Amino acid sequence: MIAETKLSKLKELIEDSTEKELIWINGYLSGLVNSRTGVAPVQPTFTQKLTIVFGTDTGNSKKVASGFAKQLKQKGAQIKLQGIDQYRLADLQKEKYLLLVISTHGDGEPPATAKNFFDYIHNNSLALNELRYAVLALGDSAYPLFCKAGEDLDARLGELGGSRLLPLEKCDTDFEDVANTWIENVTKTIDPKSTSNQKKIVSPKVNGKKNYEAVILSNTNLNGRGSAKQTHHIELSASGVAYEPGDSLGLIPQNRLVLVNAILDETGIDPTKKIAYRKEEITVYDLLTRKVNIAYLPERLVKQYATIVGQAIPVTRMDLLNLIKIYPTKDVAQFEEVIGILEPIAPRLYSIASSLAAHEDEVHLTVVRNCFSVSDEVEYGLCSDYLLSLPVDAHLEFYIHKNSEFKLPDSEKDMIMIGPGTGVAPFRSFIEERNSTSASGRNWLFYGDQHFESDFLYQTEIQNYVQLGVLTKVNVAFSRDQEEKIYVQHKMLEEGKAVFDWLESGAHLYMCGAKSPMADDVERALVTIVEQFGKQTTEEAQAYLNQMKEDGRYQKDVY
Amino acid sequence: MLAKNLSPIEKIKTESSGLRGSIIESLYNEITGAIREDDQAVIKFHGMYQQDDRDQREERAAKKLDRLYSFMIRLRLPGGFLTPRQWIASHEIAGKNSTGVIKITSRQTIQLHGLIKSKIKPTIAAFNAAELDSIATCGDINRNVLCTSNPIQSPIHEEVFAYADKISQLLMPKTKAYYEIWLDQEKIVDRKVEEDPLYEDRYLPRKFKIAIAIPPNNDVDVFANDIGLIAVIENNKLLGFNIAIGGGLSTTHGNTNTYARLATVIGFSDTEDRTLKAVYEIVTIQRDFGNRSDRKLARLKYTLDRVGLDWFKEELERRVGFELQEARPYQFTSRKDYFGWVSDDKDVWHYTAFVENGRITDEGKVKLKSALLEVAKTGKANFRFTCNQNVILSDVDLQDKSGVEEILNQFGVVANTEASSSLRKNSMACVALNTCPLALAEGQRYLPTLISKIEPILKKYFLEEEEIIIRMTGCPNGCARPYVAEIGLVGTALGHYNLHFGGDRSGQRLNRPYKENLNEESILMELDGWLGRYRLERRMGESFGDYALREIKLN
Repeated sequence: MIAETKLSKLKELIEDSTEKELIWINGYLSGLVNSRTGVAPVQPTFTQKLTIVFGTDTGNSKKVASGFAKQLKQKGAQIKLQGIDQYRLADLQKEKYLLLVISTHGDGEPPATAKNFFDYIHNNSLALNELRYAVLALGDSAYPLFCKAGEDLDARLGELGGSRLLPLEKCDTDFEDVANTWIENVTKTIDPKSTSNQKKIVSPKVNGKKNYEAVILSNTNLNGRGSAKQTHHIELSASGVAYEPGDSLGLIPQNRLVLVNAILDETGIDPTKKIAYRKEEITVYDLLTRKVNIAYLPERLVKQYATIVGQAIPVTRMDLLNLIKIYPTKDVAQFEEVIGILEPIAPRLYSIASSLAAHEDEVHLTVVRNCFSVSDEVEYGLCSDYLLSLPVDAHLEFYIHKNSEFKLPDSEKDMIMIGPGTGVAPFRSFIEERNSTSASGRNWLFYGDQHFESDFLYQTEIQNYVQLGVLTKVNVAFSRDQEEKIYVQHKMLEEGKAVFDWLESGAHLYMCGAKSPMADDVERALVTIVEQFGKQTTEEAQAYLNQMKEDGRYQKDVY
Repeated sequence: MLAKNLSPIEKIKTESSGLRGSIIESLYNEITGAIREDDQAVIKFHGMYQQDDRDQREERAAKKLDRLYSFMIRLRLPGGFLTPRQWIASHEIAGKNSTGVIKITSRQTIQLHGLIKSKIKPTIAAFNAAELDSIATCGDINRNVLCTSNPIQSPIHEEVFAYADKISQLLMPKTKAYYEIWLDQEKIVDRKVEEDPLYEDRYLPRKFKIAIAIPPNNDVDVFANDIGLIAVIENNKLLGFNIAIGGGLSTTHGNTNTYARLATVIGFSDTEDRTLKAVYEIVTIQRDFGNRSDRKLARLKYTLDRVGLDWFKEELERRVGFELQEARPYQFTSRKDYFGWVSDDKDVWHYTAFVENGRITDEGKVKLKSALLEVAKTGKANFRFTCNQNVILSDVDLQDKSGVEEILNQFGVVANTEASSSLRKNSMACVALNTCPLALAEGQRYLPTLISKIEPILKKYFLEEEEIIIRMTGCPNGCARPYVAEIGLVGTALGHYNLHFGGDRSGQRLNRPYKENLNEESILMELDGWLGRYRLERRMGESFGDYALREIKLN
C-alpha cells in the first residue's frame, strides 16, 4: 500500500507531533483527500460506532438498512451493517448502539434468516444493560399480526435490560417515508448536534398501498388430462398497472359463500346489520365474506373464543363454523363479540408471471390449487380456490408487492433460472421481459414437475423461446415418469460442468419455488457443483455462493 | 428423374447416413415429445410412426401444452408367428411402456401404441431380448412379409411359411443404424461395411408389400400386395410359386390419377433360388423405375402400368437371367379364418379366437389379454396372427388341448368367438382416430357400433349366417383393404363414408364405389334396402358381393 521509505517518514512525523497537532493533521489530510476525490469535505459530526442489523425475506429490510448505513457513514459514523443471519450472537452483549430493521411474515413470523437470533435472545438471560437500541418493524397492515416480529424483538431486548433510543416504529408496505423519519430521529437522539443533509422528510405517511381494479381476461387450467395438479394461468387486465419482473401481486381472497351462509344460519344474525369493525361500519355479510378470516382460525383466537362463550375448548386450529356448531354462542350479541376478535383475511402474494413490456396493462399469474389435509379431510387453499373459480370478466382488487431482492440482472448478463412447478412464474416474466427488450444475455431454465405429459407448464411458450434463441438452454425433470424420482437438482448435477462455467463467467442465479425440500436440495446441488468443478472444499463452495448472494448474483424467491 | 423434381422424402433418405438422421439428437430433446420432422420420416424405417392424440389437440393448445406425441411400434413377424415366450415378453412390454392394448394388424403382425419418446429405447431393448425387432416394418422398404396363417391349410404349410422369413431376410436393409441407435451397439466407423446393393442410399420410392398365399384360402389378400406369391402344391409337394405383381389399394380422394389395383400374375418359378431371385429383382426394378417425385404415384402398380407388363417382364427376365414359366392354374374360394378348433392330419390342434379389430385387451367383457397370457404361460401353444386380425393358438398337442380350452373358457374367449355374428367376425377396420395422422373419419372405434346396428337388419332378412365381408377405413389409404370387401366403407370426413359394393368373397375382384359421403343413417338405409333385395333376388349360392356387382352393372 505504501512504500517503506514513505512509511518511515510518516512514522517520524507522527512521533514528533503532539496530540493536538495530530488531530489537526488528521483533519487536514481528510479534507485534502476529499477535495481530491471531488467530495466536499464534511465536518465529522457523528463519531459513534453503530451496528445496523436487518432481517429480511424479500429484501425490503435490507434496502432500508443499507440506506441508513450509507447516510450515517456520510456523517462520519463507523457503521457495521449485517444481515441478521450473519450476526455474531456473542457480540450482542458488547453492543452500544444497535439498530434493527426487521420484517414480519405470514402469521406474525420473523423472517427465516432471523430464527437463530430470535432463539438466542429468547432462550438466554442476557444482560444488555449497555445496549441502546431501536427497532424499525416492516410489515403489511393487511395481515392480522402486523409487524409482530418487530414487536417481539423490541419487547425482548427491553426485557433483557436494553434501553430504547426510540420507541418501536412500524411501517406498512409503503415504508419509505416512515423509515426516513425514523432514521432522522435516531440520528438526532444519538447526536443532537447532527444536522440532516437529506432532503426534507415528507410526512405524515400517506395511507395504504395503491390498489388496482382488474378484470379477468382468461383463467385456464394448464394441467393436461390425468394430472394430479390443477394449475391455472390467469390473465388480468388492469389499466395503468406498474410492476417489474420479479414483483408479486397481493390480493385478499373472499370467503366461501357456503361457509358464510352456514354461519349466518347457525347464529341467526341479520346479515344486513351494520356493525363496527376496526374503525369501519360494515354489514355483517360484507364483513364475513370479504373482511375477516373464518377458516382454520389460529389457536390464539380459539382461546379467545372459549373465553367469550365461557366453555372449555381444546386449543387447536378450527374453522369458525365448527366452533359455532360445537360450542354455540348464546345469542347474537355474543356472536358480535366474537366478530370483534376475528382477524382480517390475510392477503396472499403470487409471483407475477408476465412482463409489462410484453403485455401492457396486464398481470398474469400462475396459481396452483393448494390442497392440504386437515384431520383427514382434504381442504383447499382459500385464495387459490377463489382465484381458480373466477370467471372471465370477473372483477378483482389487487396491489403490487415489490421485491427488490428478485430482479433481472443487466441485459448483457447471463442468467440461470431454477423454477420447478409454479416457481416458473417469475421466469416467464423474466423471459418475456428479456425477449421484449432484446437483452443479449444468455438464459438457461431448469424446470420440473410430476409428469411430462400433463404438468409441463407453459411448454409451448418455452419451446418457442428456445426456437427464438431467447432461451439458450432448457433442462426439465419430471419426477414421476420413471421409477426413480428425478428433480431439478439432478438435472443441475448432470449439467454441473456447464452450470459452473456459466457462474464463473458471471451468470446470475435465480431460484423460485417451494422452500422445502426444493430450495434446500438445489442449494446442496449448487454446493456440490462448485466443489466438484471449482475444486473447492465444502466451506469454500459455501462461501462462493454466499459471495454470489452478497453481490446480488444469487437471488431466491422461495415460499 | 431430375433431381430437382425429387420428393422431399427422397432427400431425407439419401442424407440420412444409413437411416440414422438426427434421431439421437431428437431423443435427447427433453422439451418436446416429438422428434425432428426429418427424423419422423427416418424413424418409419425402424418400424415406428410418430403420432399424436388428435382428440386432445385443441384442448392442449389452450393449455399451452404441446401435442400429446407418442409412437406406434410395429414388429417384424414374417408369417405372423410368435413363440409363447415371445408373447409373454410382448405382453409385458405393452403393459409397461404403451397403452397396454396389443393390436393385431391387417398385415399379420402386432403393434403397440402410445409409446412416449423416452420409452422407445427400453421397448426395443426388451423386444430385442425376446429376439424380436421392428426393422423395416414401415417406410419405403419391404414391409412385413405375409403368409397364409393356419397350418391346416396344407401339410407342407411349414415349408411355404419358411419363405416369409427368407424373403424378409433377403430384403432387409444392410444399415446397422437400428442397433446403433436403439440398442447402443458400437458405432459403425467405416460405412462401407454396411453398403447396400439393394436399397443403395435411396431405398424404395414407396412402401413395398409381399404376401404368400396357399390356395384355396386367400386370407392374406395376396392380390393387394406389390408382390403376391401363390403356392402351387401337388400331392403335398411344393412345385413353386405363381408370381403376381402390382397390387395395391391405396388411393387419394380427389386425385383421379390414383386407383386401387389388384396384382397381375406374370408367371411361375419353380426353385427356391429362382423365386427369391425374381422377388429380389422385382424390387430392384421398382427401385430404379419407380416414381420418386410424386409419392401418390410411386407404388409398383403405377410403375407397372407406366412401363407396361411386357416390358416389365422382359426387364425382370433380363435381370434374373432366366425366363419365367407359364403360370400354373390355381383357385381361391375364400379369405377366411377357421374360428374355433381345427386339426391337421397329425392330430395337432389350432384354436382361432375372434379379436374384434385386432385389439387384444381386457377392456371389454372378454378378458382376452389375460387369457392369452395364461395360455402363453403354459408354453403349450404358439401364437399366429391372421390378416383378418385374429389370433391362432396353434400347434397344440391333443393332450394339451383341454387345458388350453379351459383357460379360453375361463376368460370368456370361447363364448365370445362363438357368439359373435358372422358379419362381425368378417369385419375389419383400421386404427384411424385418434392416433393415425391420416384419418379423416373413425375406424376401429366406430365399426363395432355400426355392426351392432347392421346385425338386426341381417336378422330381419334371415341373413345372420352369411359370411359377408365388411371393412372400414378412416381414409382412402386402404389399410384394412376396404376395396376388396363386399361392403367397403372409406372415410371422407368425420361421420361420413363412401360406400363400396361388389367385392368377391375370395379377394380376386375390386369392389365399386356406390355412393359418396353417406352418414350413418344413410348407410343403414342403403344396407337395409340392399340386403332386403339380396334376400329375395339372390341366386343359388350367390354371395352378397357377387349379387351387388350384378345389380350395379345392371343399373
